[in-house]
Amino acid sequence: MGIVDLTSMGESQVKLRNEINERLSRLQDEISDYCYQCAKCTSGCEAHKLLELEPHKIVALLKRGLIDEMINSDVIWTCMSCFKCRERCPQKVAPVEILFALKNMAVASGKQIPGNYTAMLQSVLSIGLIQDVKSITTRDNKTKSRSDLDLPEISKPTDSTKFQMILSKLAVEKV
Amino acid sequence: MKSYVLYPGCVMPTEQYAYEMSIREVLPLLEIKLVDLKDFSCCGEPIKSVNQMLSLALSARNIALAEKEGLDIFAPCPMCHLALSESKRILDSDPAMNEKINKFLADEGLTYMGKSVIVNTLDLLHDIVGVENIKKLAKKPLNELKVATHYGCHLIRPSEIGRPDDSENPQKMEKILEAIGAKPLDYPEKLDCCGGLLTANLPESALTKTGQKLQKVQEQGFDAFIDTCPWCHRQYDSKQTKAGETVAAKLEVPVFYLTQLLGLSFGISSDKLGLDLNLSPVDKLNLGGK
Ligand code: SF4
Ligand code: SF4
Ligand code: SF4
Repeated sequence: MGIVDLTSMGESQVKLRNEINERLSRLQDEISDYCYQCAKCTSGCEAHKLLELEPHKIVALLKRGLIDEMINSDVIWTCMSCFKCRERCPQKVAPVEILFALKNMAVASGKQIPGNYTAMLQSVLSIGLIQDVKSITTRDNKTKSRSDLDLPEISKPTDSTKFQMILSKLAVEKV
Repeated sequence: MKSYVLYPGCVMPTEQYAYEMSIREVLPLLEIKLVDLKDFSCCGEPIKSVNQMLSLALSARNIALAEKEGLDIFAPCPMCHLALSESKRILDSDPAMNEKINKFLADEGLTYMGKSVIVNTLDLLHDIVGVENIKKLAKKPLNELKVATHYGCHLIRPSEIGRPDDSENPQKMEKILEAIGAKPLDYPEKLDCCGGLLTANLPESALTKTGQKLQKVQEQGFDAFIDTCPWCHRQYDSKQTKAGETVAAKLEVPVFYLTQLLGLSFGISSDKLGLDLNLSPVDKLNLGGK
């Protein structure tokens, strides 16, 4: 299995999309009674000043069912997952979780995945980790590897074929 | 001696070696035995934006690997700790999901049982080892080093999932640092995010967040900045110079992992703690000594 299976519009993705859609409409139902647009989430949002993310507006747009508009917008990818909005909302609404669902939906709908996410996902699928072991440079410019530093061998899936097989099954079955 | 499976995650064992080295040096001195296992994978949290189900399954698989050994889990990365804890919470409360995930795990002969406790560096040191026991080992006084702490968002939020410290006023790192003779002080930007998670798609903005916080720390005259998260440390230490450029400041803040500073106070040599791997100007404090 490759990245395409997990992110394209292939057959399995239709199911995945429906599932995320259900999750979004559940969120929509649950929050519409609770969020009273106090904007406390936005006042503490780490991405507000710098990237103009306004979590209270995300909630308002979801309430109105403007899901397509949001998954087509770059703004959902500016959240830095600090969880402050979820922590501080007086009504226990969690804008950050809505954003995760919207991003998942964008990916399942075959939208371009921004930046390095594709590479990270590909790496997890092939070696089990978001990146492989690196040699690093010390303050005085010497190169060091794990073994130079007497660290044991890294832990990662030993049978990578099996690991990939299992993940691909997951992609089809939509756990 | 209590044993834990060390769940290393991705960032620490692929590049943030100083964290791993200092953990492996310091914890055994505090009667914590670390057990290495094969076969672990990413916790899934970094790709949660892409596919949450995949994250959940990856975390469950990692927990199941440790449960096979009948041991509790030590996840030094706050993000891993959050991912594993959240997955545990879902699987323990949602029988349908539990069944589905276990069907998936069965292919590798694994079972999620929900027996292992998951701890992070902070609660392991503060709640399990205890500040008193840390104090007993502190030999090298840190001479009231004025330090700023950075907990990292994932370590303290969302509190609903059960995090190692308070979401709005975390103080455990301060208690640990006081025990080894440092002088931690609160500052207005203490809870600000490093921006590290934006590295995947908006790396410039990520660095700006880092630079903004560090600039404030520098202006307030702190001697050092202490963190416990490999993602945060990568921002504040490894990329400090670049982060400074985003806010037009020359940043020269020594950044240490909490476990590195503990090690130094316990008299462990600086090379065993990976101090030469810190790219921020840690030399200026003269804490080293071979
Ligand atoms: S999500 Fe919560 S904090 Fe944000 S506007 Fe709605 S009620 Fe207020
Ligand atoms: S989690 Fe995202 S939306 Fe919520 S406060 Fe943090 S950056 Fe803003
Ligand atoms: S949070 Fe950290 S280091 Fe932790 S497995 Fe996941 S990516 Fe990799």
